[in-house]
Amino acid sequence: MTALTLSTVVSIGFFERALIEAVLAGALAGLVGTLVVLRKRAFFTTALTHATFPGAMVAAVMGFSVVVGSAVFSVLLVALMTAIARFRGQGGQVAAGVVLTFGFALGAILQAANPSLPISVESFLVGSILTVDAADIALTAVVLAIAALVLAVRGRHIIFATVDDLGYRAAGYRAWVAEALTVALIAATVVAIMPAIGAILAIALIVGPAAAARLLVTSTTAVFALAPVIGALAGVIGVVLSRELAVSAGGAITLVVAALVVVAAGAQRLGVVRWRRDEATNLAT
Amino acid sequence: MDLVDWLFGPFSLPFIARPMIVMAVLAIAVGIASVLVTLRSLQFVGDGLVHAVFPGIVVGFAIAGRDGLLVGGMVAAALGAIVLTLIGRRALGNDSAIALVLTVMFAVGIIIVSRQSNYVGQLEELLFGRLLTVTESDVTVTAAVSLLALLAMLAVARTQLFRAHDERAALAAGHRVLASDLVLAVAVALLIVVATAAVGNLLALGLLIVPGALARLVTDRLVLLVPIAIGAGLLASGAGLWLAYRASVDWAVPLPGGASVIATLVVLYLVTLGLRQLRPQKERASAFDRRAFDRSALVRA
Repeated sequence: MTALTLSTVVSIGFFERALIEAVLAGALAGLVGTLVVLRKRAFFTTALTHATFPGAMVAAVMGFSVVVGSAVFSVLLVALMTAIARFRGQGGQVAAGVVLTFGFALGAILQAANPSLPISVESFLVGSILTVDAADIALTAVVLAIAALVLAVRGRHIIFATVDDLGYRAAGYRAWVAEALTVALIAATVVAIMPAIGAILAIALIVGPAAAARLLVTSTTAVFALAPVIGALAGVIGVVLSRELAVSAGGAITLVVAALVVVAAGAQRLGVVRWRRDEATNLAT
Repeated sequence: MDLVDWLFGPFSLPFIARPMIVMAVLAIAVGIASVLVTLRSLQFVGDGLVHAVFPGIVVGFAIAGRDGLLVGGMVAAALGAIVLTLIGRRALGNDSAIALVLTVMFAVGIIIVSRQSNYVGQLEELLFGRLLTVTESDVTVTAAVSLLALLAMLAVARTQLFRAHDERAALAAGHRVLASDLVLAVAVALLIVVATAAVGNLLALGLLIVPGALARLVTDRLVLLVPIAIGAGLLASGAGLWLAYRASVDWAVPLPGGASVIATLVVLYLVTLGLRQLRPQKERASAFDRRAFDRSALVRA
C-alpha cells in the first residue's frame, strides 16, 4: 500500500503533495497531540521540537539523512532531559528549557562554522511544506500508522496510567512502559512533521487540535478520534490559505489551528456542545 | 604574545568591550529574574514571553527600522506578559494554552516577515541576535531598561518569594499576588526584549532559565542564589565572547557572539550538574542524593 502511495505521489505536483502531507501530518499531530495534552507534556514537546534543529544541522554537515540526524539527536535530548529532571530542585521545566536553548545555540554555531551549508536555517525553523518529497510523506504515513497501531493496542493502558498513576502501579502494571511509549511517539511525530511545518510551529499543530477536541467532546476516546480530523482540516486549510494569500505555510497552518481552537471554545461557551464541567475537571487532574 | 594579553586583550577592543558591557548588565538584571523564574517554576511562561516578543519586534522593525525594534518588542512584551499571567491563573490545561499562545504569536511574526523582502537574512538576525555589532545607544537602552526591570523586580521580590512557597498564605497575609505576578511578568518581558536585541530571540530564553537553575544546583540558600546566578551569567558572557573572538581571529570561524555565550552558559550548567552528581550536599540528603553519594564514595575508595 505504501508502494502504491509512493508511486502516485511521485507523479503529482508539488501542491498536491503539500496537501497530502498536510492531511497526514495534521492527523498524526492530532493523534499524538492528544497524548501530549492529556499527559501535560507541552513544554517537553516544545523543547524537543526546538532542539532537533542541531541534529538536522549535524546531519546536513556530515551529509546523511536529515531525518536520521534529528531522530538520533532527539534520543540524546530525551536522555539528557530525563537525567536533568531527576535532580532535586531542577525538574522537567528546567530540563526542557536548558535542552531547548542548548539546541538552538548549537545549531547557530554549526551554521556559522559551515556557511556553505546546502540547507537553510529558516526551512528548519518554519518548515517548507511546499517542498516535501515522497520520502517525507512516506515517513509521516508510516509514523501515523505506527501511532494508530500503538494507541489501538496499548491506548487503554496509556490512558489508565495518565489518569491514575498510583492506581495503575497498584494494579500491577509498569508505569514506565506507558511513559516510554508516549515519549517515543512524541519524538517520532516531531521528527516526521518537522520538514513540513518546522521546528517552532510544530507544537501548535500538536497541541492545538487536541485542545480543540477536548473542548468539544468529553470522552477520551472521542478526543482521540476528533483531534486527528481537526489537525488534518487545519493542515489543508492552512496550505490553501498560504497559496491564496502568499504567506508562509507554517505560519498559516498555525493561525488556522488557533482559529479552530477559538471556534471550539466559542461553541462550548454558547452551549452548542453539551459539556459537563465535573467530567472536564476529572480529565484535567 | 603573553598570557595576560592573550586572555584579556580582546576586551580592550571596542567591538568586544561594548558587547561585554551589554552582557554584564544583562547578567545582573536577568540573573535576578532567573532566580525568581526558577523559584516560581515559570520557565514555560518565559518561553511563551520569548516567542510573544517576536511579532512585536518584527512589526516595529517593519514600521520604523532599528528604532522601532525595541518599542514594538516592548508593546508586545507587555501584552504577552498580561495574557500569559492571566492564562496561568486558570488551572485547566495550563501548559497547552501557553504552547498555543506562544506559537500563535510566533506565527504572526513569521507571516509578517514572510511578506517582506530579504526575509531569510532578517529572520536569522532576529532569531540569533547580533551581539558583536551593538552600538553605544544599544548599551544605553539596555542599561536603562534593565534598571527599570530591576527596580520592578525588587518591589515585588518579597511577595514573589512568599507566594512561591505558599500562595494561599501570601493572599491571606494581605499580599496583592495578582498585581505582583503582573509586575514580575512585565519586568521579565522587558528584559527579554533587550536580551533579544543582544543574543537573539530564541537564545534569550537560555539567559533567563539557565543561571537560576545553575544556582539552584549549587545551593539551597536563598541569599546565595542571586550572586551565584549573576556570577554564572558574567562568567559565561566573558568566556563566550572571548571564545567568539578567538574563534574568528585564530581559526577563522565567524562564531556568532550570542550563540557562543549561551552555549558556554549551558556547558557551565552541565559541568555543574556533573560535579553535583559526584559530590552531593551531605546535609538534608534525599534518598536519591544518598544513592548518588554512596556511588561516589565507592568510586573514591
